[in-house]
Amino acid sequence: MNHAAFLLPAWLFVIGLYGIITSRHFVHLIGCLTVVQSSTYVLLLSVGYRTGAGAPIFADHPVGSPAVDPVVQALVLTDIVVGATVTALLLALALQVHKRKGTLDPQRLRPLRP
Amino acid sequence: MGASGIRTLSRSLCDILNAVGTSERHGTNIVTLVNFDYRGFDTLGEEYILFAAVIGAVLLMRTHRGEKTSARPGKVSEQPVPLRTDAVALGSRPALGLTLIFGMYVVLHAQLTPGGGFQGGAIIGSATLLLYLGFGYRTWRQVMPTAVLDPVEAFGAGAFVVAGLAAMAAGAPFLTNLLPLGKTGSVISAGEIPLINIAVAIAVSTGFAVLFVEYLEETREPDAGDEE
Repeated sequence: MNHAAFLLPAWLFVIGLYGIITSRHFVHLIGCLTVVQSSTYVLLLSVGYRTGAGAPIFADHPVGSPAVDPVVQALVLTDIVVGATVTALLLALALQVHKRKGTLDPQRLRPLRP
Repeated sequence: MGASGIRTLSRSLCDILNAVGTSERHGTNIVTLVNFDYRGFDTLGEEYILFAAVIGAVLLMRTHRGEKTSARPGKVSEQPVPLRTDAVALGSRPALGLTLIFGMYVVLHAQLTPGGGFQGGAIIGSATLLLYLGFGYRTWRQVMPTAVLDPVEAFGAGAFVVAGLAAMAAGAPFLTNLLPLGKTGSVISAGEIPLINIAVAIAVSTGFAVLFVEYLEETREPDAGDEE
């Protein structure tokens, strides 16, 4: 398969990382983190891709017809579920930060004191 | 083993699963068969990551607000509540029914067509937000009391473990299928996979609903006399 397909996850990863580094708002940062995470979905799907093959679902075509790798697709499902719940947890943390400090700008947050 | 060796191994594993999955487990969606049978134990861990994240988010929000306040609908503080337009109220009611039915379809056909407990659970959980849009906050909270949602979510997550332990009680390895496999292509086929998918869907949909309730409760103001 064409190696150019691996450039897309690399681009997604780098652009998400750029967003995280330059972020001035925690909600924006969490959004960038999901972009980084989505690069892993695309990477896993590219690894399992086969030219000319269909989905690994044999409801409407017979068993034995060419199909892509089902294992990486199952991994992507795990990946998406974990990503969604981690996002929910991080947003709850951001809410708490905003309640206590009144800001979501990492630059304006003082270091935590005991 | 070099990179080419790994590639060959992964290719042959993919071919083996695609070739024997349907005849071994009587399901046509190989991804679901991998998730809920061949890799069932991993999916159990995945479900508990979701469960732990929901508990973490709920704990973070509830400890700040107090346990009692989240048991009933709160009020919006200074900002005025925009009235729902008739179009939103009218549009979200049929959409609610359609989304719920589609979510149940995705869950029940897990072993046949694309979808499964996680995907269908997410659809059903999101459909509960249409209840909020179409009927308003107070009705939405009355239909979905947190006192009911919390134990139902725990039931969904626990049922997966019970399915695994039942196999051990019968003397087989964890999560071994005990039910008849049925006819390939039928909704009731592939043994325990539909049951586990329904349990996962219950856990995921109520988990989403609990998160939505907690996040929207954050926008409400506690009543006078509530513990802060």
